[in-house]
Amino acid sequence: MVKKVMLLVLMSILIIPLVGCQVTSRSHRPDPDTLYIGSVQTSFPSAYMPWLSREGIAPTIAGLLYDSLFAYDEESGTYLPSIGMEWYYVDSEGIPIVTEDGSIDYARLEEIYGGPEHQYLAVKVIIHDNITWSDGEPLTVEDVYFSFDIATNNALSNHAGALAWTSDLRHKYTNGVLTQQGLFTYDHGAAKQGYQIAEEDRDRVIYLHVNKVLGSVTPLFTSVLILPEHVWAPVVSFENQLNSTSPNEEILYRYRNPVGSGSWLLDAENSNNQQIVLHRRPDYHLTKEDGSPLIQLDTIQFMLYQEINVAIYALLKGHIDVLGTTVSSNYLRLFEDEEDIFVSNAPGEFIQTLVFNLNPVSSERNPMRDLLGNTEFRKAMALAIDQEELVDKVLDGAGRRESAGLMKASLVDFYNPLADSLPTESKVRLAQANAILDQIVPDSDSAGYRLLDGKRVSFEILGSPGEQDLISYLQIQFQKIGIDVQYAAKGAQPESTYLYTSRFDMTLHGVTFSLSNVDIMYPAHFSTLGRTSNYGRLVNEELNEAINEMRFTLNLNTKYDLIKEIQPMIAEEYYKVPLYTSNVISVARTDRFEGYQVVDGSTVFNSASLENLRKTERGR
Amino acid sequence: MKYTYVIKRILYSIFVFAIVITLNFFIPRIGVDDPAERYYPPQGNMSEIEYEIIKQVTRQQYGFHVSTWQQYMNYLEGLSRGDLGTSFRPGSPSVSSLILGRLPWTLVLSVSTMIIGLIIGVLFGVIAAVKRGRWQDTMLLNASTIMIALPSFFIALILSFYLGFELEIFPAYTDPNMVTQFSWTLESIRRVAQNAALPVLSMVVGSVISYAQGTRNAVIAVTNEDFVLTARAKGLKQGTIRYKHILRNSMLPIVTSLGMSISGLIGGQVVIEQVFNWNGMGTLFLEANNSNDYPLMMGIMILLSGFTIFAILITDLVYVLLDPRVTVGDKR
Repeated sequence: MVKKVMLLVLMSILIIPLVGCQVTSRSHRPDPDTLYIGSVQTSFPSAYMPWLSREGIAPTIAGLLYDSLFAYDEESGTYLPSIGMEWYYVDSEGIPIVTEDGSIDYARLEEIYGGPEHQYLAVKVIIHDNITWSDGEPLTVEDVYFSFDIATNNALSNHAGALAWTSDLRHKYTNGVLTQQGLFTYDHGAAKQGYQIAEEDRDRVIYLHVNKVLGSVTPLFTSVLILPEHVWAPVVSFENQLNSTSPNEEILYRYRNPVGSGSWLLDAENSNNQQIVLHRRPDYHLTKEDGSPLIQLDTIQFMLYQEINVAIYALLKGHIDVLGTTVSSNYLRLFEDEEDIFVSNAPGEFIQTLVFNLNPVSSERNPMRDLLGNTEFRKAMALAIDQEELVDKVLDGAGRRESAGLMKASLVDFYNPLADSLPTESKVRLAQANAILDQIVPDSDSAGYRLLDGKRVSFEILGSPGEQDLISYLQIQFQKIGIDVQYAAKGAQPESTYLYTSRFDMTLHGVTFSLSNVDIMYPAHFSTLGRTSNYGRLVNEELNEAINEMRFTLNLNTKYDLIKEIQPMIAEEYYKVPLYTSNVISVARTDRFEGYQVVDGSTVFNSASLENLRKTERGR
Repeated sequence: MKYTYVIKRILYSIFVFAIVITLNFFIPRIGVDDPAERYYPPQGNMSEIEYEIIKQVTRQQYGFHVSTWQQYMNYLEGLSRGDLGTSFRPGSPSVSSLILGRLPWTLVLSVSTMIIGLIIGVLFGVIAAVKRGRWQDTMLLNASTIMIALPSFFIALILSFYLGFELEIFPAYTDPNMVTQFSWTLESIRRVAQNAALPVLSMVVGSVISYAQGTRNAVIAVTNEDFVLTARAKGLKQGTIRYKHILRNSMLPIVTSLGMSISGLIGGQVVIEQVFNWNGMGTLFLEANNSNDYPLMMGIMILLSGFTIFAILITDLVYVLLDPRVTVGDKR
């Protein structure tokens, strides 16, 4: 009897999971008009106030729902139209400072604004006249004014990021009171400031006063997503700030039901923290040259995966169309024999570098680190690094070598080949490296490692578990010049634990420099000490002066020349030594949609793909 | 004597919880950067004054604008009202609401796993002990060795790939609408059962082995006791000896194991939840950690530690009921 009861209990228990048993016959991509995009994240956001969106997929979604004034094109160094249609530097009467062909006249700009009598640069922006918000209301320069104004008014916005983005805008608030006006529209004092705006242009023209740096306009044009005044102005107050820590119901409703000017509209009802559904706005103002809609797709649906292997399998098994997350080059073989799979192996943007702690604070100095302070010693280590081998072995070939000046060679207007003066052949490099080290640390132990005061010359390289492979290959390369290096886990907060406190020998650091960011990145990486990306605390007055001159020149051609001059100076420091740039590998299925575009630094889910995707014959 | 023991244990648990609350506040703050500098590093063209304003705003947003002592007092005051604070997430939801949104889904997995694991595990354990040295016992030992070597992550992936993606017997990962569209209907409950099948199966495997081994060892130990020999000598039926004498006296280690499992019920299994996209406490903690959401991390830790202390307290009290000889700290 007992046995029978036990058997019954056992059977009942086994039935419980079997309730979940099913043979699935339904399609995993049920809607033929929807592009299903897998995204590997821990969670999706449930609120979409664009300025709050900092992590994970949030900035991508914010960028689809909202627009900024312009988009920056890294290759050409120009601003592409978005909400804004045209922009100019202007003189005190609002007249554009342009040459006969309509481009910026930098010589005149320098002539007009170069002197100390001018505290700012004046910029005129003209926006498109046919833009509407997703609720049908027209978008005017008053929305632009509202967005920049509230961004600078901490008492209303309570948003540090917005303050940072608009720090170069000379429009300032103190305790909620406007103390300096730097934004001018027809309704906000343009005429009084001397800027004449015709009645028919009152909704399209805005003037901005910005700091006298060419890069000042970049964050204003590209980082600040423009908000609808008619949606936010009625509910934002000193008590209920835009970025409220305890938002009231009205503000929460607006977070969850965003009204934007972007090309997509959120389907709030069908979105949750595991999927996000967006529908194309048929009335989006930007179109293709022939007037047809910019985007052919009707709906895109982001699907959350928390584990990359599951996401890859979901793509291979047809649960999704695109995997919008970078995959490791280790997976490339997995896709080789698969049908209907498109692999995007796009050139990356971030240069992986090895950073030396060349100037630690006095309490962190030791004889080994003193070696790193020696430029010739660092040069020897740089010579031992074989970028080709690293690309081949660590990235399975999915990457490229980089210039010692840390500027991509493809940016032909800025790249200076003089930064790459070291020999390229590996044997010659090793011979030179050993010759240098024979002068500095001539003694060796029985294993061939160099000795300093009887101790093996040995360093630790801070890295994450995913970087162990790279550090292992560096170990092999440095072994050839008698230098021992070991992996050291950098942990969750490397900046406060090791980097800012000088408690490291070397670390790995991804960097990217372009015309749009050099004003900020060059000082942060090579000039400013303390809590910046200048972890090894490089001090080079000549380099600092060159960087400052580059930042403050108002002549773009001079700026290009100075960027070129700076690159060999960076290279000769052997401070941030390039290792490689890895490709951005991503995958998509081509059984339902085709026309995926490979874009530098992006996964296959990018704006160019969105604009080109169309249904395949099978997908119709 | 028993009442004294119970009161001592309760007071001890309260003391431990007080320490946990304090550590829970201070540990996340050790080595933490100024959140202002972390989220908004100084920009190239920004003046010191402008940057200081930005830092002040960020500190205010994250509650770091008052002294640590004041933050601690605010934290205790909030806890006394059952307020675990406000998350840093967009929309600033309360920590309690976030936890309450995830806890039931974690309990679906963990309670199912515990019940199934306990029943099958004890059953297998008893069989292995009774059939000691025979194929049933050998099979359990071998299975234990293999399962100990296999991480749950690996088991979960294998199950997801073969039973989910390839054979499509179970959903390979959780239906994204399962939680939002849940209602107390048979169809909805069936949907949850379908989606929970593979995560539960992944966890049950290890749970069964753990309970089975514990039961087997306890049963074998008790089988060799004198009172079992006496029962046999008295000519009692084999079933009576097994279930009334041996199994009942083998309960203590099983209760200990169960107590430990109960304390882990609400923590969730991060890895399992990740593989199957299960919206539970494990992934909530991971989200909090990834986004440096300290209030959320602290709220989860408070709940976990409080529940663990409570589970251990209950286990200790159950000990007294099962074995009257248990009087911890009693000096005879």
